[in-house]
Amino acid sequence: MSEIMVQMSGITMDFGAVRALENVSLSVKQGHIHALVGENGAGKTTLMRILYGAIQPTEGSVQIGGEEKHFRSQDEAIHAGVGMVSQHYSIIPELTQLDNLMVGAEPGWLIPRAAAKTRADELAQRMGFEFEWDALSEGIGPAQAQKLEILKLLWRDSQIMILDEPTAMLTPADSDLLYGKLRELANAGATVIVVTHRLPEVMEYCDEVTVLRSGQLIGSKVVSETNSAELAEMIVGHAIEFQKPDKFDAGEVVLSVSGLSVKGDRGDEAVKSASFELRAGEFVGLAGVDGNGQRELFLNLMGLQPTLGGGITLDEVDITRHSTSERLLNGMRLIPEDRHEEAVIEDWSIEENGILGLQRSGSVKSGMAINGSAKAAIAERITTLFPTKFDHVHQRFGALSGGNQQKVVNARAFEGNPRVILAFQPTRGIDIKVSELVFQKLRAFARSGGAVVMVNFDVDDLIEHCDRILVINHGEVFEPRPEESHDRAAIGRLMVGAQ
Amino acid sequence: MANTSPVISVLTSTLTFSAPLVLAALGGLCSERSGVINIGLEGKMLGAACATGFVTQATGNAFLGMISGLMTAILLSFLHWLLTQTYRMDHIISGMGINLLAGGATALVAKTFSSLGSEKMNAFPVAAYWVMAWTAVFGVYWYLKNSRGGLRLNAVGQDPDKARQMGLKPVKVRFMALLWTGVFTGIAGALVVSNAGSFTDNMTAGRGYIALAALILGGWRPIPAFFACLFFGFLDGVQLQLQGQSLFGQTIPVEFWQALPYLVTILALAGLLGKGSKAPSGLGRA
Amino acid sequence: MNWKLILLTLGAFILIWVAFLVTGVSTVEGLQQMVKGSMGSARGWTGTLREMTPLLLLGIAVFVGLRAGLFNIGADGQFNIGALCGVFVALNYQGPGAIIVALLAGCVGGALWAWPAGLIKAHRGGHEVITTIMLNNLAFFLTLALVKGPLKDPNAQSPTSANVADAAFLPYIFESGNIKISLGWVFGIVAVIGLWTWLKKTVSGYELEATGANPKAAETAGVKTKAVTVRAMLLSGMIAGFAGAIQVLAFEHRFYSGFSPGYGFDALGVALLAGNSPIGLLPSSLLFSVISKGVTSVSLLGVPKGMNGILIGLVVIVFAAMRYRKAVKNDG
Repeated sequence: MSEIMVQMSGITMDFGAVRALENVSLSVKQGHIHALVGENGAGKTTLMRILYGAIQPTEGSVQIGGEEKHFRSQDEAIHAGVGMVSQHYSIIPELTQLDNLMVGAEPGWLIPRAAAKTRADELAQRMGFEFEWDALSEGIGPAQAQKLEILKLLWRDSQIMILDEPTAMLTPADSDLLYGKLRELANAGATVIVVTHRLPEVMEYCDEVTVLRSGQLIGSKVVSETNSAELAEMIVGHAIEFQKPDKFDAGEVVLSVSGLSVKGDRGDEAVKSASFELRAGEFVGLAGVDGNGQRELFLNLMGLQPTLGGGITLDEVDITRHSTSERLLNGMRLIPEDRHEEAVIEDWSIEENGILGLQRSGSVKSGMAINGSAKAAIAERITTLFPTKFDHVHQRFGALSGGNQQKVVNARAFEGNPRVILAFQPTRGIDIKVSELVFQKLRAFARSGGAVVMVNFDVDDLIEHCDRILVINHGEVFEPRPEESHDRAAIGRLMVGAQ
Repeated sequence: MANTSPVISVLTSTLTFSAPLVLAALGGLCSERSGVINIGLEGKMLGAACATGFVTQATGNAFLGMISGLMTAILLSFLHWLLTQTYRMDHIISGMGINLLAGGATALVAKTFSSLGSEKMNAFPVAAYWVMAWTAVFGVYWYLKNSRGGLRLNAVGQDPDKARQMGLKPVKVRFMALLWTGVFTGIAGALVVSNAGSFTDNMTAGRGYIALAALILGGWRPIPAFFACLFFGFLDGVQLQLQGQSLFGQTIPVEFWQALPYLVTILALAGLLGKGSKAPSGLGRA
Repeated sequence: MNWKLILLTLGAFILIWVAFLVTGVSTVEGLQQMVKGSMGSARGWTGTLREMTPLLLLGIAVFVGLRAGLFNIGADGQFNIGALCGVFVALNYQGPGAIIVALLAGCVGGALWAWPAGLIKAHRGGHEVITTIMLNNLAFFLTLALVKGPLKDPNAQSPTSANVADAAFLPYIFESGNIKISLGWVFGIVAVIGLWTWLKKTVSGYELEATGANPKAAETAGVKTKAVTVRAMLLSGMIAGFAGAIQVLAFEHRFYSGFSPGYGFDALGVALLAGNSPIGLLPSSLLFSVISKGVTSVSLLGVPKGMNGILIGLVVIVFAAMRYRKAVKNDG
């Protein structure tokens, strides 16, 4: 019945010497929700960026509605009815919500804001959304941002809607709502492509699914004719053995946080009177919707975000007023949220980055000088702890792929006798096999007498790997009741403050 | 003029001194709101002043002179666009390069054609420039607020990557922005040389930098930047008025008054005169 | 080299050709004379090395700032203040170690003049380019007022200080025939080596470079970036002030209005051209001094001083196009 709306054939994409996609084809029918699944680095986003005109394929063709297209930039794709919501959203915080809705597709040379607002309201009403059009867009939450992105697609009359990991930042409830809306749009004739790595979503909401692995097309299936197990096999290519957390006896308290309040970047109270303890041996997960204070909590524990009240002790020493440098020396480690901005200096070599944060530690610093052999030894260790693809340690760090960069940053956190590792999404961009290894190493570190807190937006990962889960919602940290702690839905409710 | 009251003469000189600053600051605004850091305002003004001065003197035609000035500033602006957008060069370095180049070239031209510069050029009445400067402020203000181009300029200046994702072309938006920078700095340069009567080496004397300072003090917004320019013009006017006069029984050297605008800017940046507002987030980004 | 860079280089050469055309001197003859005048004789070399001394020292000053992520456009002002402080001390103190005291005065003056820019950058977020430009102008008017007023040599017509005593002259370290090498030049060479060692081998040097390369990552790594920023600006200003004092004691022996012909700005080009290593300051400052001395020598043929700006501006532009490029961020 339905016609093929998008046909990508024989797509090959090379980035320099790296082949990101090889001879991949994809066909999507009008009125369907089509899932594009695969591991991190499988090439899903690259394929979608080609469809959206952001990059041009080395080989292959794209047909929209049966017509061959060669998009040289995003605006050509937009004109052809293609719209894309990227994972990190394209909302400019300094513009009003109305301006964000319109930009790039303004009604005319002169902007009739009153009329535009009327149309915006109509669209919002149709979807059951509400917006403050004249307010700036800074500080709108992920759920609201996602809604604004969908309205942007409608504003542009996009017939083909690409959503890249749309539920990555959403709670389970908001995800349900989103897919409900997408189904309405699809029933009204839109063609929807969802890039995701969450199989339950695919099974529940999508019509068809295409699987990529390492830049290759593995296959396409009608969702009703397949199952999660088969898809999982297609995605990974082999079965993965998950190591279950072992039983252990928690030791003495390593890190104790009491009544800690943290000032946010906008002067707000980003963390509100948080109290918790980490005992030796524990691998603790911190669940929460992005932007609920995880970032500020971690930064504050490292001495990078101002404290409003409360205190922190590390191994029974009060470190509340210690500088970042002192905390590093005392064994606090951070795997930061923003790898590019906070973790490394991309223009420097791997070796130079290896001692970043350790430059004042006893093994690296001798007198005023940097100990060259210690530096080399660290570089050797951090590139081999996790299987890392690189040429040599004097190579520019930025030349590594995202996943390999993350591996080196993770490995560095184990250097210099750490006591506590704060890991913000340590498996981002890393494939399932190595991710498993990362979790194992974090757990092994904890078992040897340290403690780990991990932020991960995938609740399943937390339940699977952590000994214990803390939930953060609107800056309040609390521990679920024992019967809730391994219940995905219950944690999801706690994450949004529902009972 | 001996009988003019000091108030009137301070007012007149405020207008006279501020008009080129206003125009140059608007030029800077177009560029910086699109995300291109512009320390090259000085060079563009200087180039325009030089071309306007010598072409007017050579042809006796003020209109031709002004057009050549405009073209020179637009050409330098185009070079700036080329360097920052297609060569992806650091914005500050390319601005410095343009200032050095324009400084050298105008000095060379001034020396070579020094015979032309001996007589006073005929120029448009300075009041015409005042009108242009004032209209331009409100024009730019209105354009930024109400037009598609203004919205796009803002979007690109705040976040070029996201703007690209929304189908905008930062390179194109910045081309138009820098074109307008050329136009405004061109008129500013023409005004400077018209005020003086003929071109002399390095005659913009740092006005491009002062305009940039006014832009920053004004939080990259046209109306506050305009008032900052008026204020600098006023300081200049007061300085002329107070030169050689004594204060608390001491003779204040003229240099003190000349240095005052710079001192005020530093104090303002140090936060003693109120907090500056936020710069466009995309400044300097590709 | 891709075609874009070839085009740009070609454009630069055409501009130079046009510039010579305007002056009425043949390009080939002009360029030949520039090379001959700067490097063709002992006298030429002496002049070139003399030009190189302030350019190298100021290049070092700017370079230190650049490594910490600071564009110290204020080197010229710090140079002027340093020179003035040097003159002031040399005129008023003739006791033991007069030279050293005068040099120290230059260092202190330059550092003080850079301080506000560092503080405003670190604590107010005010861009150092703007503050240092303002400080340059302030330095210009301040020094002018002083040499017109209290420091003016009563016997001179133009605004200038008196000459310092012979005892306060910085000695030449090598003198043979027409070749003279000042101790100031040697200081420059030593400073380059010292800077290289500091940046590459010590923790504080590492932290300074981290601050410049990625302040947020440096902060996360426990570097006190605000303090590093202020210290780097102080150090940069100190070296620029030192350069000013050297200029007085080694070559000029007095301070006058227009003391610096824009050395501080040329030094920006020197530092940018040097690339990532301080060692690069040696060839780049040499190139700039050859251009500068060369243009002086062709002025006899009727080529105006403006040629210097054109050549240096083009060198900076072409070189920066090759090195300092920004990558378009991948949003995927």
